Amino acid sequence: MAPMTMPILRLQNVKKVFNSFVAVDNVSLEVAEGEFVCLLGPSGCGKTTTLRMIAGLETPTEGEIFLREKRITYLPPQQRGIGFVFQNYALFWHMTVYDNLAFGLRLRRLPVAEINKRVCEIAERFELMDLLKVRAVSLDLSAMQRVAIARTLLTDPYLLLLDEPLNNIRPGLREMMRADLKRMQQELRKTMIYVTHDQEEALTLGDRIVVMNMGRIEQVASPQEIYDLPATLFVAGFIGRPPMNLFDVKYAVEGGHSWLVWRQYRWCVDKVRDRIEAAHPENGLVLGVRPEEIKISYKAPGIHAKVVLVQPLGRKDVLMLELEGEAVHGVVPAELCINVGDMVFVEFPPERMHLFSATTKEAIVHGIS
Amino acid sequence: MKRKDIAVMARSPVISVALRILHRFTVLLVVGIFIIPAVWLLSISFKPPTEWQVFPPNLIPRSPTLDNYIVLFKPEAPKGTAAAMLRVTEPVTKSFLNSIIVVPAATAISVTVGFLAAYAVARFRIGGAFMPFFVLTTRMFPPVAFAVPLLVYYRWLRLIDTPIGLILIYAGFTLAFSLWMTKGFIEGVPRHIEEAAILDGASPWRVLFTITLPIVKGGLAATMLFVFILNWTEFLYALIFTSTKTITVPVQLSHYVGAVGRFYGPQAALGVIASIPVVILGYMIQRYLVTGFTFGLIRR
Repeated sequence: MAPMTMPILRLQNVKKVFNSFVAVDNVSLEVAEGEFVCLLGPSGCGKTTTLRMIAGLETPTEGEIFLREKRITYLPPQQRGIGFVFQNYALFWHMTVYDNLAFGLRLRRLPVAEINKRVCEIAERFELMDLLKVRAVSLDLSAMQRVAIARTLLTDPYLLLLDEPLNNIRPGLREMMRADLKRMQQELRKTMIYVTHDQEEALTLGDRIVVMNMGRIEQVASPQEIYDLPATLFVAGFIGRPPMNLFDVKYAVEGGHSWLVWRQYRWCVDKVRDRIEAAHPENGLVLGVRPEEIKISYKAPGIHAKVVLVQPLGRKDVLMLELEGEAVHGVVPAELCINVGDMVFVEFPPERMHLFSATTKEAIVHGIS
Repeated sequence: MKRKDIAVMARSPVISVALRILHRFTVLLVVGIFIIPAVWLLSISFKPPTEWQVFPPNLIPRSPTLDNYIVLFKPEAPKGTAAAMLRVTEPVTKSFLNSIIVVPAATAISVTVGFLAAYAVARFRIGGAFMPFFVLTTRMFPPVAFAVPLLVYYRWLRLIDTPIGLILIYAGFTLAFSLWMTKGFIEGVPRHIEEAAILDGASPWRVLFTITLPIVKGGLAATMLFVFILNWTEFLYALIFTSTKTITVPVQLSHYVGAVGRFYGPQAALGVIASIPVVILGYMIQRYLVTGFTFGLIRR
């Protein structure tokens, strides 16, 4: 789902180096108007630094940033028209909620009546009317989040950046606030870039997800595509819980057929032969299959495996299997009543297998037959 | 918090009352220990010479007198034997006035410059990482080591025995304290709060005055009181750089020495009077002080 309209934000080969540490490396990205983009990655992957560069709180070492086709790479943050919601909300806690909301408008020297009108409008929308006279310190987390978002929206930014705003919130409330956020974004149609290390959050919130690792973008795609067609080994291993099972396999041509070989097992890959051979299979291949795609039953056919661990998860059980000495995760419906110590048969559906190059770490083909 | 804990602990009202009494008693004891010197000072200031050093000491003067205070203001008309032997000819009003001009001015300069410098250092790394230490070097020598070279400059600049001269010295030598103390408070302000203000459109000065300053005002008050006390009680430079016109209270205090020994009564009386501005200042900024001293406890 590539941006159809003119991108509101464009990052062009952006790089940020702190001392000698490369925090963000050659990041290029386009964000369309009204889009909800999630930057997803483990901590230290450069997602927050990227966000801070967009906001102007950091200056890129290399590369350019454009907002509405205007170059803003070195523009001071005050002049960019970008809103930023910080992880801890960064409310002005010595001020009341009203003063927090009115802060940006007062700086713009709007008439008092106008400020009052706008603050009340947004307070109404965010259910903050009763809290206007309360000091920001004494708010609860949900109210803090609402104030933080409302405050940034009041200055009517082109773009709203959110840096892990749900990070410190207990589970339960977290899901609620996440839903609020999604609903709000759909109502406002504001372009948002949301940083998180929580894949569930990214998958539920984002129109598109940008997966980052070690300062680089691994993949930019819709949540479904990220899950179904991971572009790199990193994405394959990072997205999905439990993570994708990965096996080092070999490529062989025997008896006029092409095969992927793992231990004494082999899969015919004639249909995708050209793609595999183009990717230098002699350098090593990695085969991936998601736990939820593995077929597990008490009946043959399949590879014989032993159940080592069963983690019940409501309607399904997450299994850890010992398969040829390797730990493999699988997910089965709870009705199967599989117990620890059981011997089961495991089948890998070829159309659901992903093949990666062990050297470039990039996907070669999704579905091998 | 503490009171709540106690309340939770105490199931029965008897224990609750007992704990409260214990709590009050402990507080009283601690306060008592700290207040003894002050009470003693007050006591001596109302005693006639015969009672200054009697043993066993008596807390309440047997024959209380105001002589000690009167002699401070009217040295040329001594009453009683003690005052007659004094060398002091200047009434205390002059040195008091000098102190009242010099000390607040020096404190204001020191804290203002220190705060702005601390902000520049803490937020913009102005002057590099070593700058705060560089400022601190002014406190790494014994003060007397600076005295002679400064005296030479001051003679040349004709600043000896002038309020300006003393103000500059005091401001300069307490700057390190102002900078380091306020730097700690500024660094305690989460950077994100300032960045949020910047993104809302605020200029750096606006951020400083509407965001950072209100948040650290408690710390600033604490710093101010600390620097004020340092300057108010400074003796060495006041002694060296003043002679007659600009002597301050601590120097005046040292004058109450006669041929036969120290005049504890007038000294105590002056001590009492000299404490008054500090007490008033402390009282005025009391409500900021609490937030200043508990700054680290405030959540981010």
